[in-house]
Amino acid sequence: MTESLTGAQLLCRTLIDEGVDVLFGYPGGAIMPLYHALPEYPELRHVLVRHEQAAAHAADGYARASGRAGVCVATSGPGATNLVTGLATAHMDSTPVVAITGQVARSMMGRDAFQETDIIGITQPITKHSRLIEDVEEIEEAVREALYIAQEGRPGPVLLDVPKDVQNQKLSGAGEPAPSKRARGQRDSNSTPPGSSRAGTAPLPRCPAGSFEEAAALIHAAQRPLIMVGHGVVLSGAYAELRVLAERTGIPVITTLLGISAFPEAHPLHLGMPGMHGEVHVNRAIQQSDLIIGLGLRFDDRVTGNLAGFARGAKLIHVELDASEIGKNVPAAIGLVGDVRDVLCRLLPEIAPRSCDAWRQEIGGFTRLRDENFQAGLSPQAILDAIAESAGGQCTIVSDVGQHQMWVAKLFRYQRPNSHITSGGLGTMGFAVPAAMGVALARPGEPVWAISGDGGFQMNMQEIATMVQEGIPVKMAVFNNGYLGMVRQWQQFFHGRRYSATPIWSPDYVKLAEAYGIAGYRIESLDELQDTVADASAAPGPALLEFMIEQEANVFPMIPPGGSLSEPIEGEPAIRMVPA
Amino acid sequence: MRNDDQTVSVLLEDRLITLNRAVGLIRRRNLPVRSVAIGPTATPGTARLTIMMKSDEATAERAVQHLEKMIGVRAAIAFPTLNGVARELALVKVRAPHERYAELLDVVQLYNASVVDDAADGLIVELTGSEAFVLSCLRALERFEIVEVARSGTIALATANNLQTETMT
Repeated sequence: MTESLTGAQLLCRTLIDEGVDVLFGYPGGAIMPLYHALPEYPELRHVLVRHEQAAAHAADGYARASGRAGVCVATSGPGATNLVTGLATAHMDSTPVVAITGQVARSMMGRDAFQETDIIGITQPITKHSRLIEDVEEIEEAVREALYIAQEGRPGPVLLDVPKDVQNQKLSGAGEPAPSKRARGQRDSNSTPPGSSRAGTAPLPRCPAGSFEEAAALIHAAQRPLIMVGHGVVLSGAYAELRVLAERTGIPVITTLLGISAFPEAHPLHLGMPGMHGEVHVNRAIQQSDLIIGLGLRFDDRVTGNLAGFARGAKLIHVELDASEIGKNVPAAIGLVGDVRDVLCRLLPEIAPRSCDAWRQEIGGFTRLRDENFQAGLSPQAILDAIAESAGGQCTIVSDVGQHQMWVAKLFRYQRPNSHITSGGLGTMGFAVPAAMGVALARPGEPVWAISGDGGFQMNMQEIATMVQEGIPVKMAVFNNGYLGMVRQWQQFFHGRRYSATPIWSPDYVKLAEAYGIAGYRIESLDELQDTVADASAAPGPALLEFMIEQEANVFPMIPPGGSLSEPIEGEPAIRMVPA
Repeated sequence: MRNDDQTVSVLLEDRLITLNRAVGLIRRRNLPVRSVAIGPTATPGTARLTIMMKSDEATAERAVQHLEKMIGVRAAIAFPTLNGVARELALVKVRAPHERYAELLDVVQLYNASVVDDAADGLIVELTGSEAFVLSCLRALERFEIVEVARSGTIALATANNLQTETMT
């Protein structure tokens, strides 16, 4: 066959062949050839965002919810630079995103052409890989490689920079696409993509002989063991294996921010979230434990607090796909390198049944009850319960960053795996609304809630327009306390109550919803909570709900920055601490 | 050369973007790098990046793990610089009054260096050795007028058989 295709057509065709069905993007000069080709490929749904940052977050949300790469598209220069925060978010949380950026024509590159920017240089530290496509002949292979690299091993964002003239360049004899050699969505750490330069890269390390037996021996001998679960469990889908490990041994399970929902929230062995805003009994359990089985987590500083004082009596069995994470922050007695699910499948046959009743009882004794009062009874717990109830517990919650994020992490009753999506590592305010669009497209027909504070919501609320135009039925909840609450909390605790630049004005969200033609609600008291949330859930299409919550409520407990997990602040501090 | 001198040797795709990415990675990871040298290897298309670090072995090993993850890196190892041969090349343009030429040539000879160019504005001296050796020679040449110095940065090969990165590709 001697069909002649442009680079742009080849790009579309290869994306489709690889199973991509949705692009989040924004057109512009240097990406126009791709947009010219798009209408010829109706299998590729294009979602026109209102800001490229939202395209990257939406692709990220799509990837987190589907387990397959999310794809975003932007033009050169400002279009490409607007993707940066979204790519950094995906990089920190190891999610497979492929960004396709237009670039000025090859003959113009390096001359500071209009809308030229070195996006490969700019994104180098925040991408797993990036590639400038220098000729139309590379396109098919480069697209397959990008999708492969984004999803294989520890996932991450990949950027493809495509000069405008390469998009227009014709490849004669393009013929039919070579059949995709691998099913999308499968993560295989050892196979090599067809015709890829990855063929020459270093092999992934494996677990040394005897390490499973050694790990099993530590697990049998431990008196106060804990399982700590991170994003790696979600990425590998090791839910069943984790549950077998926990139930066979009776070892309590702690889920980090990105590990939440990997283990049933209400399971008797589930303790909760650790770290800076972890409950006292969770952090105390860590501090008292003699063995931590760390599954797919990187021991971020928000999890460990001051490293010098972290779990000093505990040995660590660290299961991680990325060898460079083992021993990076916390020294490991045994490092098991590999996909969490693979490692657990090999480890489980070595594990004999045991129980941890005395230890669990001891942890139960660490639990503290807090008495918190919220204005008009509109507590985060009540709001989240109403949302859970309206969706029969089956919804996916996408949270933003700040106080509400901690409440959503700790108080929502997650029943299904991977039903909690948030920006953990980068802590990107403005993530929830656009990411929820991607989640909604990856999980059609399922309720998706974007929960934000009044600060983060205003960072990307322009995306309501995208939802309306594209018919994406995300329910948006705004926890409005009139402050950038988490920063205000820090100012209260550590900066002598100087509320510098944290009071934040909001528009009338009900009118805003009206302006966009969607349902809008303001909830000011507990009485109206349940009915209103139920109404919003039942309303077709997107809806916006504003919850007027206590203005100066704090997230407790809190480990002060630089403090160890043994030093929680459990109530309003009596003494005003002033920063050193 | 001391115990805390570590060499990280990396074989990688010989493309500017790959080299750029590797150097960016060691900067971003805040590693205590003293010297970076890049050059071709016996394998066409493969370059060797030699990173000299002042660190403990664990830090050097961590650098290797980060580099191994990078697309385009074919092999990476770390070894204590003491367990290898490490050399750098320096070119020194040095000026001396006519009556001190003999003295200058004595220094050149003492360091096993050679005069490779006799330019109008000074002699160009070429010397090779460990970093300490090169620094010592430079100090000796300071008693004359040093016009310009170009140093290659240190390259190194491990002496033990099991550290031959070339065979790891």
